[in-house]
Amino acid sequence: ATELRLSHQWSTSDVRHKVAQIVADEVAAADVDLTIKIFPSKSLFKPREQYKPLSRGQLDMTVFPLSYAGGQRPEFNLTLMPGLVKNHDHAARLNDSPFMGELEKLMAEDDVRVVVHGYLAGGFVGKDKCITKPEDVAGLQTRAAGKAFEQMLAAAGASIASMASSEIYNAMQTGVLQAANTSSSSFVSYRIYEQVKCYTPAADVALWFMYQPLLMNKTAYEELNDAQRAAIDAGAAKAQAYYLEEAKKQDAASVEVFKKAGVEIANMTQDEFNAWREIAKKSSYKNFVENVPDGQKLLDMALSVE
Amino acid sequence: MDPLLLGATVAVVTILVLFSGVSVANGLLIVAAGFLLIFDGFRSLELMPEIFFGKLDNFALLSIPMFIIMGASIASTRAGADLYEALDRWLTRVPGGLVISNLGACALFAAMSGSSPATCAAIGKMGIPEMRKRGYPDGVAAGSIAAGGTLGILIPPSVTMIVYGIATETSIGRLFLAGVVPGMVLVGLFMAWSIYSTWRYGSVETLMRSGTYTLAQKLAILPRVLPFLAIILGVLVAMYGGYATPSETAAVGALLCLGVAIVIYRLWNLKALWVVLRDSTRESVMILFIIAAAGVFSYMLSSLFITQSIAEWIGTLDVNRWVLMICINLFLLVAGFFLPPVAVILMSAPILLPIVISAGFDPYWFAVVLTINMEIGLISPPVGLNLYVINGIAPDIPLKTILVGSMPYVLCMVLAIVILCLFPGLATGLPDLVLGPAV
Amino acid sequence: MTDTPSDMRGAGRRHPVIRAADALSTLCGWIAAAMIVASVMITCQMIFVRSILNHSTIWQTEAVVYLMVTATLLGLPYVQRLRGHVSVDLLPLALPKRFRRGLIAFTLAAGIVVVALMLYYGYDLWHVAFSRNWKSDTVWGVRLWIPYAAMPIGFLIYLIQLCVDLFAVLAGLDRKLSLEDHH
Ligand code: NA
Ligand code: NA
Repeated sequence: ATELRLSHQWSTSDVRHKVAQIVADEVAAADVDLTIKIFPSKSLFKPREQYKPLSRGQLDMTVFPLSYAGGQRPEFNLTLMPGLVKNHDHAARLNDSPFMGELEKLMAEDDVRVVVHGYLAGGFVGKDKCITKPEDVAGLQTRAAGKAFEQMLAAAGASIASMASSEIYNAMQTGVLQAANTSSSSFVSYRIYEQVKCYTPAADVALWFMYQPLLMNKTAYEELNDAQRAAIDAGAAKAQAYYLEEAKKQDAASVEVFKKAGVEIANMTQDEFNAWREIAKKSSYKNFVENVPDGQKLLDMALSVE
Repeated sequence: MDPLLLGATVAVVTILVLFSGVSVANGLLIVAAGFLLIFDGFRSLELMPEIFFGKLDNFALLSIPMFIIMGASIASTRAGADLYEALDRWLTRVPGGLVISNLGACALFAAMSGSSPATCAAIGKMGIPEMRKRGYPDGVAAGSIAAGGTLGILIPPSVTMIVYGIATETSIGRLFLAGVVPGMVLVGLFMAWSIYSTWRYGSVETLMRSGTYTLAQKLAILPRVLPFLAIILGVLVAMYGGYATPSETAAVGALLCLGVAIVIYRLWNLKALWVVLRDSTRESVMILFIIAAAGVFSYMLSSLFITQSIAEWIGTLDVNRWVLMICINLFLLVAGFFLPPVAVILMSAPILLPIVISAGFDPYWFAVVLTINMEIGLISPPVGLNLYVINGIAPDIPLKTILVGSMPYVLCMVLAIVILCLFPGLATGLPDLVLGPAV
Repeated sequence: MTDTPSDMRGAGRRHPVIRAADALSTLCGWIAAAMIVASVMITCQMIFVRSILNHSTIWQTEAVVYLMVTATLLGLPYVQRLRGHVSVDLLPLALPKRFRRGLIAFTLAAGIVVVALMLYYGYDLWHVAFSRNWKSDTVWGVRLWIPYAAMPIGFLIYLIQLCVDLFAVLAGLDRKLSLEDHH
């Protein structure tokens, strides 16, 4: 029997674990002499250190925020770029676009293929005030999730403090941090709602979308027999539909948790979103284009997706 | 091979390898490499340096050398002696004032040092000769300092608490607070035993005898204690005043301690400074190497599904939670007899913590119980780090006397664990009060 | 498990090969200590810049982390030279001197094998990072081959120190053999 090892960083109650579990269950049900063994909660690899073993065949599968590998493939930084994705349905269209095809070509060079596509969204929290427009972050010590966001926030006048996400809670509590930006589910799982005054969730418009696909080592996939590959593909189709539905629910669920904790909920308007994007164009987009060969072409491909 | 059987095999092999006298870190790497090679194939070895590097690639680890520098720089001065002397001058009328002063000084010093040997050495260098001079039994003189020194890892800051926090992803700030009250309980128990034992095996005169100090003398020593208060205050302000995160605070403490040592205690001689840095580097590298090697070891355990299977298996056992806790304590105690605290915590905490939590125990309370177990290991044979420190400070006290003198303090620690089981609030109360209920 | 900074220089430590290795390891120790001091300074600078000046702190945490990793790896040979790597000495202490030497030689040899392994694959990782120009995924974007270089360098010098120690044990030049004065 063939056994595939799948690693990810989240708890077993997280949507991303469930996506992996659906594929594993479907493969098991297909009875094709194939099992997928899941190592959740970073019990095998540290979150950012999963891409290297995946591409070298030491790990078979992972659910992985692709921008974590941006240091190895700078093109992947486009998968966590402010304002590039407008909402979850737009994200789904991006997944089927030629832009994603280009990224998949790059992954193939690393012997990696995508099994399940998926984006998750996030927002902002402020310790003392709401953060909706660029002027709101001026002078605040801010912790951002992702390099491109750090560049945009710095351009908006925020002071960037880098620290592990596990330190956000303490840093907010003692006043080291005044603002933070990360995914809806991280805000909830780190109980940030206990420390902040205001939450700006991903709603009709949102700045922060992160591509977090289920990846597989390409050689490992090709070495499977036809029935096994078909089982994985069938599981993946089911998982991807589930992932999109759940991604939408995550944002609303996080709003409920923050509301219940008495946190003020703010909404970003379309004008405010546009203001952020103008700043991003002059900072993170510009930086990306300057540092990545063919960067402009890739960015245009992404922006052209309606 | 069944993962549980494999786990037992790994345990036996690890014990055999470590008992061969190979260094703990190398031993862990050897066992990890061996099992990975046999069960995961040659290619898995490629991953070892990456995991090794990845374990060290963690900002929180910075606090380990920083807190060690704090202890080492202050221990290199006569600050420890000043501290217990000040206490002694003020406690002159209290029966057993000298041993109480020494234990109090240990506790205060522990609040600046993250490591136990540093605490032991700092207070013991002057404290032990003074106690013997004034007629305290050798066993009490040596035992009280050996035991008092172990407070270094219970009273914050604590290197082992940091390691526990990193291994289990619990809040280091909260862990630090959890150790405060239990540390005081232990000091109280140590003091009670010291006085009883001096009365029983020494004499009442010893207990009552003390220097007589004028008020002027009492006041004169106070300025020498001020640097301590300044450092403790500086660290507290940095940590809880919105300036620094817990891991960053350690650097403030290290800089303050080095500064105090250089300016107030005139440690501006380069050679003396190098001794402080050399000792800190040696201890830090030793601990960080074990942390990285234990990371590779636990990758092997997880990769072979041993960690997960053990947790699952214990979950299916239908035992009383207190029976479970007693078994865990016995395991930690035995492991602590032989292995340094850092190694025990790194290898056992990730496996034990989920079990402990699912049995309904608090992870911060458990950290305190685990730390007290490790403290016992430091003053019990066959490998008791503090015993050797005392042996180095007072070479004319036979090791056997130190050992026998320390045994009652081991019982004090066991008693402290029992007290903590009866009143878990002693550990969890302060963090809940300061930081609110646990995240 | 000695805590005193026992310097194991017996008569045999005057052997030129041993002295050369000792000197190299000591140099590493100095560099490691300097890196630890640098991390203290950088962290304090970061706290100052962030809480007093309210500026961004982009590079400090990353710099400190890589300094600590490098200090650890470069510190390995130095701590080995000081016999500072903690071990459980019960069995070696209990054995008669003849067997003790064999056991110590054996454990050193086993250490050499595993450190050689770490050196080989550590070099491999450094090489991949260098040839593919991997960077850290931050605004600072450190070229990873720089911190990764600590692995081949640190493990190589550690390996040399271990080999020299093995040589000293086999040639009867090491005081560690007379463990009676160890504690
Ligand atoms: Na301490
Ligand atoms: Na012991």
